[in-house]
Amino acid sequence: MKIKMKNSEKRFQNISLIIMLIITALCIMPFVLMIAASITDENVLIKEGYKFWPSKVNFEAYQYLWAKRETIFGAYGISILVTAVGTFINVTLTSLFAYPLSRQDFKYRNFFAFFIFFTILFNGGMTASYIVWTQLFHVKNTLWGLLIPNYLMGAFNVLLVRNYYMASIPVSILEAARVDGAKELGIYTMIILPLSKPVIITISLFSGMAYWNDWTNGLYYVTDARLYSINVFLNRLMNNIAFLKSSSTLTEGANLVGLDLPSVGIRMAIAVIAMLPVLIIFPMIQAQLIKGVVIGGVKG
Amino acid sequence: MSSTHGIAEATAKRRFGKRRTSRINYIPLFLMMLPGVVYLIANNYIPMFGVLIAFKKLDYAKGIFLSDWCGFANFEYLFKTKEAFIMIRNTIGYNLVFISVGLVVALSIAIMMTEIGKKKIAKFIQPAICFPNMISIIIVAYLVYAFLGSNGFVNKSILGGHGIKWYSEAKYWPGILIIVNFWKSAGYSSIIYIASISGIDTSLYEAAKLDGASKMQQITKITLPIIRPMIILMLLLSVSKIFNSDFGLFLQVPMNSGMLFSTTQTIDTYVYRSLMQLNNVGMSSAASVFQSVIGFVLVMLSNTLVRRVDKESALF
Repeated sequence: MKIKMKNSEKRFQNISLIIMLIITALCIMPFVLMIAASITDENVLIKEGYKFWPSKVNFEAYQYLWAKRETIFGAYGISILVTAVGTFINVTLTSLFAYPLSRQDFKYRNFFAFFIFFTILFNGGMTASYIVWTQLFHVKNTLWGLLIPNYLMGAFNVLLVRNYYMASIPVSILEAARVDGAKELGIYTMIILPLSKPVIITISLFSGMAYWNDWTNGLYYVTDARLYSINVFLNRLMNNIAFLKSSSTLTEGANLVGLDLPSVGIRMAIAVIAMLPVLIIFPMIQAQLIKGVVIGGVKG
Repeated sequence: MSSTHGIAEATAKRRFGKRRTSRINYIPLFLMMLPGVVYLIANNYIPMFGVLIAFKKLDYAKGIFLSDWCGFANFEYLFKTKEAFIMIRNTIGYNLVFISVGLVVALSIAIMMTEIGKKKIAKFIQPAICFPNMISIIIVAYLVYAFLGSNGFVNKSILGGHGIKWYSEAKYWPGILIIVNFWKSAGYSSIIYIASISGIDTSLYEAAKLDGASKMQQITKITLPIIRPMIILMLLLSVSKIFNSDFGLFLQVPMNSGMLFSTTQTIDTYVYRSLMQLNNVGMSSAASVFQSVIGFVLVMLSNTLVRRVDKESALF
């Protein structure tokens, strides 16, 4: 009886493993196709299409991109700049806002908690945001347009940090510090910040991913090619492909992105290059990121 | 002994704390919050008043606030169009599939992942199935293009050159978008269930095994009932977002192709297209305000329901 049961348990485990391996393969497969296509000979691509196992390999696409590296590196530079600065400001604002909210003895904490919480419940919609940012704050075609709208501070991260402060920083430490004559800012920088390292890392990852992967701010607020981040650049390139499919006037679309129109293989090479940083960094941060999702997942 | 000491200390602390509160200087705390408050006003609160634009006949010469009021004319005009029906149908239709199938998929993955959780390979599988959610939807659109484009894998290798023009045939897109959505989000959405399943006391399963319960019985009689509150919570949260759609999925993956609007247009893509491509602020703001207001009502409703199921998990 017992042995039989063990067998059925074992079988269930094996079936689970097989199914999960298939799912994993399906998740990875498209990336393999993309990378394979980017190193396939151009003529082979046109004749045989994108294939997992290219019959003729060469790196012309990458050589071409290297020759045109200024455009791509420029877009990379914008992405890195916006991600670094944006994440830094996001973490600073979030932590500074969350700390008073976590203080039981702060009389107005409920008011401010509602003030930020209400932004989850109701928003003015994309059209209103667009008009406010372009007509009132004039961020169109500036770096601010990539940096400021939407991502600088969000209710989700603030509540995550506040909950962390409330759960893991004992009130007694704060009181002891105050008795010793520490000022509020001193308490925040000397005690709170060092203790909040894990949650700060988590929200940096969330914020960093949001900035790096953003393309909507670029879509709405940036039309100047010098300000394209890598994702915005890819997006415009994609639009040009669509545009070329619907009309035969080649040149205009291609000039928009400052490149001759990339041929069949080069599109995939650019996408590979754009994906590379995430591919390299993700394995390093995934454990922390998944932990963050578990902590904050429900209310996100 | 130590516990009584603890209580005494706590009482002392409370008294001590109370005495101190009256003397707390709030100004540093206000200053800490100031940058955040300014940002929220600019990014969230001013646009809330921007909903008024939907009730105006916008005239840039007069400025936003001085333009003439037009009542519900924008809304009337919007809902007379056939597009309004299409985008609402698509938004809700896709969401219903995403929510229902998504729940089954996420739960199945979570159960299978906990089953193989102790194996070394799970350490590789979990990040691998989450990875598609970490890249931008633009790259996803390129990946889809590698399969469906005119030189794509599907047309050249599977269909043997007798290609289908995927980007101009609307009828294929419900299937394509559903597959892409689950490819992207299935692994990631299972994380929360994996966490709640791994929180279940293993002695329950040991006892069930001794009583001769099969694996299926363990799942239906132990796992699912215990994580039921979490399932209901996640369902209600997603239902409250049923008028929202993943803007990138519906705009980028079909490559903004006009021939696919009948199956790919959602409220979010309509708001974008009428604002940025057609320059029709009236229609765009009407659709976007409609979405916000319904969204607000649905969040409030679902929160009331969540409170009934599980007060702890309610948003407020």
